Amino acid sequence: MKSGSKLEQLIAAGHFVLTSELGPPMDCNGEVVLEKARLLKGCADAFNITDNQTGVVRLSSIAAAELIMREGLEPVMQMTCRDRNRLAIQSDLLGAAALGIKNCLCIAGDHQSFGAVGRLKGHPGAKNVYDVDSIQLVAILKGLRDDGVQQGGDPLEKRPALYIGAAWTPLGDPVEFRPFRLKKKVDAGADFIQTQGVYDVELFRQQMKIAVDMGLHERTAILAGIIVPKNLGMLKYMNSSVAGVSVPETLMKRMEQARLAAGDDKKQASKNQAEEGIRITVELIQKVQEIPGVRGVHIQAIEWEHKVPEIVKRAGLYPRPIITEKGENNASESENSCG
Amino acid sequence: MSQQNGESTVIAPCTVGCPVHTDNRQLVDYIIHGEYEKALRLLLDANPFSSVCGRICHHPCEQNCRRSKVEAPIGLRRLKRFVIEATKEHRLAYSKARQVPPGEMERVAIVGSGPSGMTAARDLVSMGYPVTVFERSENPGGLLGNVIPRYRLPYEAVKEDIDDILSLGVKLVTGMEIGRDITIENLFREGHSAVLLATGLSESRTLNVPGIDSEGVMLALPFLQTVLSPIPPVLGKRVAILGGGNVAIDVARSARRLGAEKVTIICLESPEEIPAWKWEVEEAHDEGISIMHSRGPRKVFTDNGHIKALELKRCTSVFDSDGRFNPQYDEMDTATLLADNAIIAIGQRGDLTSLNGSDVQTAPGGRLRCDPKTQATSRQGVFACGEVLTGAGSAVEAVRDGHRAARAIVHYLETGDLIEQPYDDPQALGELPDETVEKIVKRHPLVLDLVKPELRIKDFVEIERGFSEAEALNEAKRCLACTTGAFADEEKCAACLTCVRICPFGVATIEKTAVMPQEKCQACGLCATQCPAAAIALKRFGTTQMRDELRSAMESQNTELMAKPLIVSYCCLFEVTSRNWVSETTVNCLESGIVRVMIPCVARLGVLDILSPFEMGADGVVIIGCSSGDCLYPTAEQRLENTVREARGVLGEIGLEEEVIDYWRTEGSAEVSWSSFWEISRRKLKLMKDNEGERANDSSRAKTTV
Amino acid sequence: MIVAERKPLSEIKQYVEKYKKILIAGCGTCTTVCLAGGEKEVGVVAAALRIAFLKEDREVEIIEDCITRQCEPEFVEPIAEKVRDGGIEAVLSLGCGVGVNFLSERLDSVLVFPGVNTKFFGAAVEPGVWVEMCAGCGNCILDVTGGICPIARCSKSILNGPCGGSQDGKCEISPDVDCGWHLIVSRMQKMGTLERLSEFVPPRDWSTSRAGGPRRVIHEGMRSQNEGSEEVT
Repeated sequence: MKSGSKLEQLIAAGHFVLTSELGPPMDCNGEVVLEKARLLKGCADAFNITDNQTGVVRLSSIAAAELIMREGLEPVMQMTCRDRNRLAIQSDLLGAAALGIKNCLCIAGDHQSFGAVGRLKGHPGAKNVYDVDSIQLVAILKGLRDDGVQQGGDPLEKRPALYIGAAWTPLGDPVEFRPFRLKKKVDAGADFIQTQGVYDVELFRQQMKIAVDMGLHERTAILAGIIVPKNLGMLKYMNSSVAGVSVPETLMKRMEQARLAAGDDKKQASKNQAEEGIRITVELIQKVQEIPGVRGVHIQAIEWEHKVPEIVKRAGLYPRPIITEKGENNASESENSCG
Repeated sequence: MSQQNGESTVIAPCTVGCPVHTDNRQLVDYIIHGEYEKALRLLLDANPFSSVCGRICHHPCEQNCRRSKVEAPIGLRRLKRFVIEATKEHRLAYSKARQVPPGEMERVAIVGSGPSGMTAARDLVSMGYPVTVFERSENPGGLLGNVIPRYRLPYEAVKEDIDDILSLGVKLVTGMEIGRDITIENLFREGHSAVLLATGLSESRTLNVPGIDSEGVMLALPFLQTVLSPIPPVLGKRVAILGGGNVAIDVARSARRLGAEKVTIICLESPEEIPAWKWEVEEAHDEGISIMHSRGPRKVFTDNGHIKALELKRCTSVFDSDGRFNPQYDEMDTATLLADNAIIAIGQRGDLTSLNGSDVQTAPGGRLRCDPKTQATSRQGVFACGEVLTGAGSAVEAVRDGHRAARAIVHYLETGDLIEQPYDDPQALGELPDETVEKIVKRHPLVLDLVKPELRIKDFVEIERGFSEAEALNEAKRCLACTTGAFADEEKCAACLTCVRICPFGVATIEKTAVMPQEKCQACGLCATQCPAAAIALKRFGTTQMRDELRSAMESQNTELMAKPLIVSYCCLFEVTSRNWVSETTVNCLESGIVRVMIPCVARLGVLDILSPFEMGADGVVIIGCSSGDCLYPTAEQRLENTVREARGVLGEIGLEEEVIDYWRTEGSAEVSWSSFWEISRRKLKLMKDNEGERANDSSRAKTTV
Repeated sequence: MIVAERKPLSEIKQYVEKYKKILIAGCGTCTTVCLAGGEKEVGVVAAALRIAFLKEDREVEIIEDCITRQCEPEFVEPIAEKVRDGGIEAVLSLGCGVGVNFLSERLDSVLVFPGVNTKFFGAAVEPGVWVEMCAGCGNCILDVTGGICPIARCSKSILNGPCGGSQDGKCEISPDVDCGWHLIVSRMQKMGTLERLSEFVPPRDWSTSRAGGPRRVIHEGMRSQNEGSEEVT
């Protein structure tokens, strides 16, 4: 075991793993984090704690990760390259490990200009760092953990046992290069991969085939990303504005029909769309599960975390396996209740 | 590279100052490069009396030399003499090569064989006109052949020039006086289409004072002629010379050589006004000749009809307010000078006997009527040149007039018209600015001692010797190479200021692009070497010439056959003291493996120049600069060191040994030290090559055993 | 001016050694002025490569060229054409990074290698020494700092300096580096405007800088109408 995290153990044992996401608040109210944690407990094997997601300042991922551990959840601490140079990054990784955090997702981070969206002002004028990129970050973390050296070359006595994750946008442009970039991440030391949200299962299947042909699925655990759609507007936005996400026309039609079925009743329309969104999500989960090489899913219900238990249950992924003292595992509702 | 803006509208002042505009700058450059033959041809083309002028020219070139402001002018006259003396054989060959077979052209008769007449003759005959020169005396050369004393001008020098001209096909008739033996009209009747009067000023003026007719009183020109005759005149112990011009000095110095003990020159002028050349006055003084200034003759005292003494009166002023010669005397202030002889040297006038029986008119005062612009006389087809036209002048001015006359006659013969030739001098490069003078490294001008006065007054042997080759090369080195400096190609110049920063003379400035004012530029070439845009060129030894010379040096040899290691040696041209040595080392290069490229200051070498030989297959580059501290150009040695370091660095970066580049400083001279430098470098390179070969063998052996 | 420095020839040689016909392209503007990539340097690099290849008994054709500026289509196009038509397999640009980019965009199948390391925008403080003086941050604040740029000349780019590491006018990172803020303070002192430095300078907007992504400047007057209307963002 590289980290001994639950996620690592379940993947090693061959389970179809499930991760979800928990976004910290924009203030220092830790209770919000704890509440979300209680809501999601048992619904997934590990929970990503975002790191100033979309360039919006939020309670730090390292602190939020520590908070949810108090509730018995296993965090996947996200670490972006946008806000920290290699000194800060390494220091935070060491600190996280000291606090008992065992999973870390290494990502570049959205550009700070994304923070100014809707009513939010964000910090578009901030100077970004990007001292190292996400692949370099993976390598740095691997170096700390496996070689016991800092990036600069100084040795470590106690090494941080972190299970290393990385992101993959299989359908991002230029599509033909994406599998190679995935390989670079794997070569750098990514133990597991969480992909960008998948809507077009067919295209995703094709990219996965390439990855599998390259043998990457054996060297890393690929978790397909599923972003829960709330309504037609969100699907449309994701299709047009989120890089690497393409939504098939049929899905949008389904969502539109759900909305139209409510007639002029806006409340009902919203309800209908939410229901359709969950249905779509469940279907997507089931479909990607069939794709060779996919070892799990990563469900992102952005600011909609309370829907996760329902989704998980409807997708037939409940209850989640548990890990006994002896390292055996089985499904148990009592210890791992959800929702 | 566009050379357009390199065109100079001004020329070197030495050339402007020279009446025949000899390209002295180019001449010196030829000398520096050991191209004495080219120098000779340049000289002769401008001046057929180069042997003469190399001795006696009053050298306005030197007076105009911009180097005068630094320490002293370049000894251009003696450099020319050196060229003449170094190329005697080539001169004969050159004459032969220039002979033009006479065509069916109009015949021209020239009266007088002095420098102007003979120059015109040469020009005309070179263009195919049959020319006959009529000389009334037995010796050609006019004053040069018959008057000027031999201690100044040996007859051989005159003969060289005259023979050279005659060898081109000019027909010389001596002992025939036009106007007495035959008239100008006869010449036309005999088939000449034009006649040139170049009869000079052959008559001495005399004085009108009581007793001037007494025995022992002589005229300058007849005196000097007799000096040259087999039976020289006999003089008393005390000789007085009346007059302050160059002829007076010639007379005085000749008199001294004839045994006169007390020779006194009496002139109207003050020391500042005396018309004789300053150096002539000084040399006369050294020979024990005294000058009484501001005195004129009042009376000749005689004893038995023979001169005994001169009564002299004070001359209070020589020129009037308009600058005209109009001497005023104080008759009350008199002095007496004992004299056994008096020689009158107060000026010359023309002898117009030649006009007898012709239609050529004279002007009042017994002078020739002639338009100085067209040089035409009142009689169609008769032209005049030289002193008979211009009044007293120098030899080189006579040569200029001869050229002009030839042009005038050719134009007349071709068109039937006269041509006006104004005396327009080209514009000279401006004075050397003081701030530049300060930056120029001072060098000792070469001062050649004349034969010691106590020895030289014993005979008429020439008192000045010519430059040795080493001396000439050393003197040539001082030339500022006016107008041949750097210029920037506006298209390429990036205005980077590199030239401004590195110019040791503070010449370059940026006016949108780089500008190097010619009057400041010393043509050292450092800016061109450093210019990163390759935008700077030099008119003298341009930036590409280094590569061109290298290429031609390499291509002229079969490098395959050459001894190895093959070394390209860039050498400072200024350190060579004989060109024979240079050509010997060139001949030997097959055996030695050393290809030599001579460069006027090796600091002109850029990194690329040092690398290029390796591209061509050289094993090493040996740079030999001047002796430490001897460089003409401040900072140049430092620049070269930097360039060498940089070039070595480049080799290092591509994995070659940096030691294949050597930089030596001349010790003594090229002849003394270069061979040993080459030998040391050669041995080192050989050792390196051998070691390399061994290593290669070792590794191939190692491979085969594996 | 953009200041660059020629790359080590060993590195340059590695780039191009697998090609048979290469072009070395100099730039007649910035890299000429900073003595890194003008016509002369092109010659030196070409000679060095020829010598190196000669030693290895390899035949490589090296073509030399230098254009006025490698960052203008009109200047670059002829050289691009020369490459395309001349069967040139690789280009070594001695222009700054802009030149390499610009040439690359015009050469679909020919690799363009950088022959220099592009360093910074700087001034020649003495012959042969260039110092960075502007960071190109896109929003000049030199009015506040007495004309001396803290972004470029302070190692930390701090706006309310100097930091505690300023000593004897030097930066804590090296005694060879002037403390930018020391310069600012001295200058403001001399100008009698030191009190302006006691005002707090708030965090600045870096979106005009590299942090805002690749930048562009549009001069509407120069731009042709068609191009202008295409532009949406």
